[in-house]
Amino acid sequence: MSAARRGRVLPYLLLSPLVVFIGALSFVPTADTAVEAFFRVMPLDPPNRFIGLGNFRALFADPTITISWVNTAAYVVIGVTASVVLGTAIAVALKQRFRLRGVVLALVILPWALPAVVEAVIWSWIYNPTVGVMNSALHSTHVIGGYHVWLGLDRWLTILLIEIVQVWQITPLSALIILAALQAIPLDLYEAARVDGAGAVQAFRRISLPLIRPALAVCAVEALVLSLNIFDQVYILNGIAPLGSSVMLQTYVTTFENLNFGGGYALSLLVTLATAVLSLAALALIYRRPEAA
Amino acid sequence: MAAAQEERTARVVTRVAAGPAGRALSRKPARLLGRVVAIVIILLWSLFPLYWALNTSLTTLSGADSIPAHYFPSPLVSTSYRAVFGIGGAGNGISGEFGRSLLNSVIESGLAMIVTVVIAVLAAYAFARLQFRFKRTIFVSVLATLLLPAYATLIPLYRIMASLSLVNTYLAVVLVYVSGFLPLAIWILYNYFNTIPPELEEAAFVDGASPMKALLRVVIPVARPGIAAAAIISFLLGWAQFLFPLILTTNLATQPVTVIVAALNQQRIVPFTLLMACGVIAAAVPGVLALALNRYLIQGITAGSVK
Repeated sequence: MSAARRGRVLPYLLLSPLVVFIGALSFVPTADTAVEAFFRVMPLDPPNRFIGLGNFRALFADPTITISWVNTAAYVVIGVTASVVLGTAIAVALKQRFRLRGVVLALVILPWALPAVVEAVIWSWIYNPTVGVMNSALHSTHVIGGYHVWLGLDRWLTILLIEIVQVWQITPLSALIILAALQAIPLDLYEAARVDGAGAVQAFRRISLPLIRPALAVCAVEALVLSLNIFDQVYILNGIAPLGSSVMLQTYVTTFENLNFGGGYALSLLVTLATAVLSLAALALIYRRPEAA
Repeated sequence: MAAAQEERTARVVTRVAAGPAGRALSRKPARLLGRVVAIVIILLWSLFPLYWALNTSLTTLSGADSIPAHYFPSPLVSTSYRAVFGIGGAGNGISGEFGRSLLNSVIESGLAMIVTVVIAVLAAYAFARLQFRFKRTIFVSVLATLLLPAYATLIPLYRIMASLSLVNTYLAVVLVYVSGFLPLAIWILYNYFNTIPPELEEAAFVDGASPMKALLRVVIPVARPGIAAAAIISFLLGWAQFLFPLILTTNLATQPVTVIVAALNQQRIVPFTLLMACGVIAAAVPGVLALALNRYLIQGITAGSVK
């Protein structure tokens, strides 16, 4: 083989493992989901056959699934808002240099680096109704009169407390991204604002906020994708009860507990489409008016 | 008005003249206090749940069950860790199970990390440095999978693995992980390769090196921080996986630590002291790695997210 020919083949050689992996284990399965969602697929009760929108009709007729969609919407709203706001607050607080800032940053990232399942188990102990530290702390500070059962009774409280566990995990990522964006802003801008008599809040609104907008968009989209697909925390803290269940949990239950693969495919496809549409919409919304504020 | 303006100008002038040190001195004590309080709150929020797990894991069951809660382990004992590691006989049957799942996690995340990084280095180098047809199409379609939720492929991947009789094998778990982690690793490495001046390789080409040799001898050594970032992030992602191994692994031959911790939690008979000890150990591996390799981790996260 000549050197020139080798040069032309080399890129494809370098890419072949990637193409095989992503093709066989990402593209083919995604396409498979899009097709099988329109089929009846019951591994224990064949035959499998085309049923058009049958799976989707069954999903929309099932109140448990409807509950899980509404719950998921709540997870998303809480998750995106809380992680972006908290992430911004943490980034602003850690923006200025101080001794040990590196150590603080390293510690702040920890929740992001650990398995969600393990974290959820830890939080279930914190939320424990009889001897949990949340009850203990709120009781000894007289916020509550007696110990509460936090999870599994009130739908929205359960969802809020479960989403807090996810927010706790994903906020460090937002904080880091926003911090990087804040640090990229030239300091002269703030100095000029100060000379013009702008206070800290005004400087944040007029200078920081518009300039970190793209970073906020990235954080919002990451939080959106993660909360729309929330599974681990719900599985541990809510179990498979409909009360706090998410769409991803219902996908798991439909597919692997009820062995209705077709229904699982349809639900999977809907979550995928919802994720894609909402993330693109969020990006478009935030990038639309970069000069605003 | 004029006086205020004058004072402001004077402040700026002194600040500029004094430099960074003067700026620190001139800061009002109230603001300094405010920042210290903010940082303490941030640290409490980030670390208290982890501390709480550690606290519970280091005390007895009656110590952990006390009302009101003890904020320090009292009594301080190592019984739970001895039980988890099967030291002194009191294992509750957990030690073998948990130890094996730790080993499975190490093997699965470790192998996935190695395979991901090798494939990603080759591909990212091609994307960053070589010219070829369909480059943009392939690059964009690989990165587009970053926007797809990971679980879009859950059911088909299970059926593929089942049809190949690969359920409950390390191979299935590693294949699925690698296909999931590749896009992010490629993005991180692609960005890193682009920060390396092409002159470095051109010097090697002048000396008669092939592109492959330039990659191995010149680019990879210089790109070590980027490779470390891609590697640690892939490892952490692997260690944290739950839903994929939940359906792809069926017994202790391959079940990772996340699946076992969830199972122990579900049994409802495992004491919380023991459960927290398992949790602390399962979190310690990625936790220590994240702290030790913090520099690469932060760099990888920010490079991976901000375009």
